[in-house]
Amino acid sequence: MIWAVIRPESAQRVINALDVAGIGGMTRIHVTGHGKEMGITLGAVHYKEIPKEMLMIVVPDNDVAKTVMIIRAEAKTRSKNTPGNGTIGDGKIFVTYVEDTFAIRAAGKAGGT
Amino acid sequence: MKQIIAILRDERVEDTKAALESLGVLGVTFLYVTGRGQQKGEVNARGLGGSLDRNLCMPHECTAVESSHDSIQEEAGSPLHSDTEFAFDFLPKRMLIMVACDEEVNRIVEAIVNANLTGRRGDGRVFICPMISAIRVRTGEQGNKALS
Repeated sequence: MIWAVIRPESAQRVINALDVAGIGGMTRIHVTGHGKEMGITLGAVHYKEIPKEMLMIVVPDNDVAKTVMIIRAEAKTRSKNTPGNGTIGDGKIFVTYVEDTFAIRAAGKAGGT
Repeated sequence: MKQIIAILRDERVEDTKAALESLGVLGVTFLYVTGRGQQKGEVNARGLGGSLDRNLCMPHECTAVESSHDSIQEEAGSPLHSDTEFAFDFLPKRMLIMVACDEEVNRIVEAIVNANLTGRRGDGRVFICPMISAIRVRTGEQGNKALS
């Protein structure tokens, strides 16, 4: 199970790239949060919580590395100032175990996504 | 201790709540999420073209999709905006999150599956993940005690 917190503006790019790689099933959650920078100050206004998009993807073990790589590649911001290096706030990816998966439609166990 | 994460149909949430309540399981969190499965929301996307197989979709899901589609077409008078396509791509779902002690997991999963089973695409998934500990904020109780 992969939880990825990414920029809302890069979400569609990530999803398209996962599509191309054949990873279709996922859940999107709109969240707000901040990292260790505690938000962002734009002019005189300090925004403590920044909108992010959280993707939950469950894939077979063999696909985890591929999925993480795709998310990393696509969620990184590409600006002139930071070519290919990304910027603070691009997000984080968390990977945890799933012990069991049940597909409700089949009322039984299912492997993979 | 296990964490149970389930993706469910919106309209089955009340049934699910009732089923869990009858098991005596009361601590549940529901989130509004959007999601799609392996069919990538295609079932409903095709429905926009008028060739929807109604058996594949809950009846009132169809009407919801169609009516919103009509209103958008009337307003815009042009092919669907990319944001709109996206909205149909990811369908509104509910995510159930709860933590249960090991012995209860099977009963809970069974209840969730039974409450959500329609046999159609989009019924959802249930995931079981390990959970290391739980702490009740009010009292500081840990482990299974924090769940009861």
